[in-house]
Amino acid sequence: MSAETHYDVIIAGAGIVGASVAWHLAASGARVAVIDAIGPAAAASGASDGAVSVASKKPGPLARLASASLLYTRELASQGVLAGAFHARPSFVFGQGEAELAALDALVAKLRAISGPVHVTGDGPAAQLACLGPGVERLITLNGEGHMPGHKAVRAYLSAPGITPIWPAPIHGFDIDDRGVTVHLADRRLRTGHLVSALGTATTELFPTLPIMPRAGQLFVTDRGAPGLLPGSLTAAAYLVAKTEAPDVLPLPPVVIDPLTTGQFLIGSSRENHADPNRVDFSTLRRLMERSVRALPLLAERRVIRAFAGIRAAVSDSLPIIGNLPGETRVTLATGFEGDGICLSALVGREIARMVHGLPPTDSIAADLATLSPARFVDARQEAWG
Amino acid sequence: MSDPVLVVGAGLAGLSAAAELARAGLPVLVVDQAQAVGGAFHRQPLQGALSLATAAQDRRWSDLMAKVAAQGSRITLALATQFGGVDHKGTALLTGRMNRLFRPRAIVLALGARESVRPRPGWTLPGVETAGSLQIRLKTLGEAPQGRVLLAGSGPLLLAVGAQLTKLGSPPVAILEAGRPFARPLTPIGLPRDYWIEAAAYLSRLMLARVPILTNTRLTAIRAEGGTLVAEASSGRRFIVDHVALHDGIRPNDFGMPACDVLPVVRLGDCREALGARAAMVDGQMGGAALAARLLGRTAPSADPELARQTRAQARLARIYAHDVTAELNNLPEDTVICRCEARTLKDLRTLGPTPTARQLRLDGRFAMGACQGRFCGDWIARLTSAETSKPGIGAPRWPARPIAVADLLSATDETEGETQ
Amino acid sequence: MTGTIFWNGTAIPFRTGESVATALLRAGIISFGAAHTGQARAVFCGIGLCQGCLVRADGRLTEACLLAARDGLHLSPEAAGGQDV
Ligand SMILES: Cc1cc2nc3c(=O)[nH]c(=O)nc-3n(C[C@H](O)[C@H](O)[C@H](O)COP(=O)(O)OP(=O)(O)OC[C@H]3O[C@@H](n4cnc5c(N)ncnc54)[C@H](O)[C@@H]3O)c2cc1C
Ligand code: FES
Repeated sequence: MSAETHYDVIIAGAGIVGASVAWHLAASGARVAVIDAIGPAAAASGASDGAVSVASKKPGPLARLASASLLYTRELASQGVLAGAFHARPSFVFGQGEAELAALDALVAKLRAISGPVHVTGDGPAAQLACLGPGVERLITLNGEGHMPGHKAVRAYLSAPGITPIWPAPIHGFDIDDRGVTVHLADRRLRTGHLVSALGTATTELFPTLPIMPRAGQLFVTDRGAPGLLPGSLTAAAYLVAKTEAPDVLPLPPVVIDPLTTGQFLIGSSRENHADPNRVDFSTLRRLMERSVRALPLLAERRVIRAFAGIRAAVSDSLPIIGNLPGETRVTLATGFEGDGICLSALVGREIARMVHGLPPTDSIAADLATLSPARFVDARQEAWG
Repeated sequence: MSDPVLVVGAGLAGLSAAAELARAGLPVLVVDQAQAVGGAFHRQPLQGALSLATAAQDRRWSDLMAKVAAQGSRITLALATQFGGVDHKGTALLTGRMNRLFRPRAIVLALGARESVRPRPGWTLPGVETAGSLQIRLKTLGEAPQGRVLLAGSGPLLLAVGAQLTKLGSPPVAILEAGRPFARPLTPIGLPRDYWIEAAAYLSRLMLARVPILTNTRLTAIRAEGGTLVAEASSGRRFIVDHVALHDGIRPNDFGMPACDVLPVVRLGDCREALGARAAMVDGQMGGAALAARLLGRTAPSADPELARQTRAQARLARIYAHDVTAELNNLPEDTVICRCEARTLKDLRTLGPTPTARQLRLDGRFAMGACQGRFCGDWIARLTSAETSKPGIGAPRWPARPIAVADLLSATDETEGETQ
Repeated sequence: MTGTIFWNGTAIPFRTGESVATALLRAGIISFGAAHTGQARAVFCGIGLCQGCLVRADGRLTEACLLAARDGLHLSPEAAGGQDV
């Protein structure tokens, strides 16, 4: 075999997390390559709604990290790195019925506890927004969140100098030795000092023992209409509950209605355990649409032009996996973001770049980040089988 | 009552299949989005309108309608009814006049063909349509549009539409044919006799009316000017007309249909392979009988050799009209619209680099993201972006089969409720 | 002539069984206004595939080439304020 190409860092996966890691490393002067089996934003990042939302995060470390990432995303956007990808906009959370109204109380309390960049600027009846209908009993208006379509962020990050894109090129495996890592592609090998794996659901192809499974969410896209009818995303409180509890306890479906810049609406979402992007069904579509139309009656005049399932990488404890492979300083994992990767990607990219350079995590989030280390599964396995 | 077999499309293939399924004893529901039966070829004229069908065509159609009628109430027909798709649970959605969600026993997709039209500057202007679109209007109304018509592109359909316009007293100003169908006189010899008879009828009518048939001539651009259309031919000639009808071939209309494995879904006629009217009828019959046998646990009937004969004839026709399209595509001006729905140009495509992935084409380029799902741009994008090593195209079109009005989705009668899954 | 539809308020006659698209075309209306992309709306494929001929019929967007003309039906272009040629 001919001389192997050498990169300072190889990033496996050209989704939004891999792209952010690549940008941060390239910005610090490293020579990096990004490898993807298909191409940029080919999986969850290209099939997601792009909410950069703190409100929807599980209370605790995840909500605090999301808050820090939102601030940092805004900073990157104002520096021009994410120009055209991120835009600030209000977000709306609504509820109907006892369970959802209680969830809205919990949301207000959570945001107060974080005291971060997201503020409640309105809380009351639906009349705050003229376009809303009878399905909205109470509406909370939030300021400070934003929207960032995954594929736009990926393109923005990867356009930086110093990043070599390699696709379509499935990674068949890797070996670690004293001096670095060898990455095996179908037709060649690449050498690197450090491998960062940001492979989403495909992580288990390289790390089969990690408890990551595909979780599908059906998404529906409408035709175009005049843009600007709804100024920000409209999320049912049930969606917040769905993130922490089993979905079948919900009386009403967890809809999220996202206005796109094209004047289209993206409507989601279900949570199902499979990995088929074409698996959509009329009963889910109808359930989500019935509720959506009651919340936003103008949807009754739209047509659904496209339907698909976005496949997210879910972890058994519903928390992402971020950190070095236990016992290996040359291999770092960043995966399992389920429905939160767009929001967390900026911060994760920055922190992984620090890890690769052997720097400690940023002080203010170090403790929260530590809870996401892959070490938690190694320990669990040793307890269970060791 | 046992669930019906759903046949989508009341053209030659769909109705032939329906007759066979019903003859085997199965209840059949035939739906079509059009107001009349007949599909692309036998679209029935409005009451009192002049029919363009020949005696032989009328005979074929009335034979088929008699077969359908003979099955009585075993076949239900719903017109102005659209098939929205079938999901992975086997639930089908119908919208329009019949609006329901239900689980058919099996589905026959006989959705016919879509036309292929090469992008050209000006092809999105009002007054520019496909030759098939013009033809359906001629067949329905029995009258030609007001004003001058230019036919351009490639394929035998241009001659058929030209002859039909002539019969209606409004011969086209010219037919521009990019191929050279008359340049290789030996190739047509193997065509079946009925193809010859049909072609001779069209050509003699066009020649009598002195319609110029310009071969090896492409329509390169269309402009709107003072209420008319100015069409430029590759020969340098200009045509000032009111309508331009374009046609560059026929492809199966197989978009937006992911596989459903809980019930049999078969494609028949042009929707399986675009082989023309004669083949569509045979394919419908054979496919309908084969599906009936499969559903009833009987042995499948043997294949009809006619289908193979038609396949060979169509391959020969394709050779007769063969011409180099790549050069035409490569010479398009940068601002030519490629994706009609989203108004994306060749320049927009080029900014994605030489070999964009399907995801990049869709997400970054917004190609094929419109309501037609790439039915009219997908083939061209694949050709314009394929390097030697990769052929990404626009990826698999997404479900549903056609845009679904939210109001229709919500008002559909749900007949699946309470069923065990 | 067996009935009347209205395009932007203008009465257009139609024949029983014909589509909104053919009725408008016969009346000399070849552009059905503008789409939200700015493109002109017009008949292209004639069979419900290209989505080029969308018009608003009683508030809802529909393919003019598939929609049966019926007496008293009010039609308007897709985009409010769109060019109506
Ligand atoms: C423009 C054109 C010109 C042609 N000219 C010739 C010719 O001169 N000679 C020749 O031999 N062949 C010709 N062909 C081919 C010939 O017409 C076809 O091979 C034959 O008619 C196909 O029959 P079919 O039943 O498969 O499809 P079709 O006859 O096209 O029937 C399909 C039906 O499905 C319906 N449909 C589609 N989608 C939906 C949906 N989602 N819901 C409900 N209904 C739906 C349509 O309205 C249509 O009625 C031509 C084809 C075209 C398109
Ligand atoms: S003209 Fe193509 S959908 Fe009506």
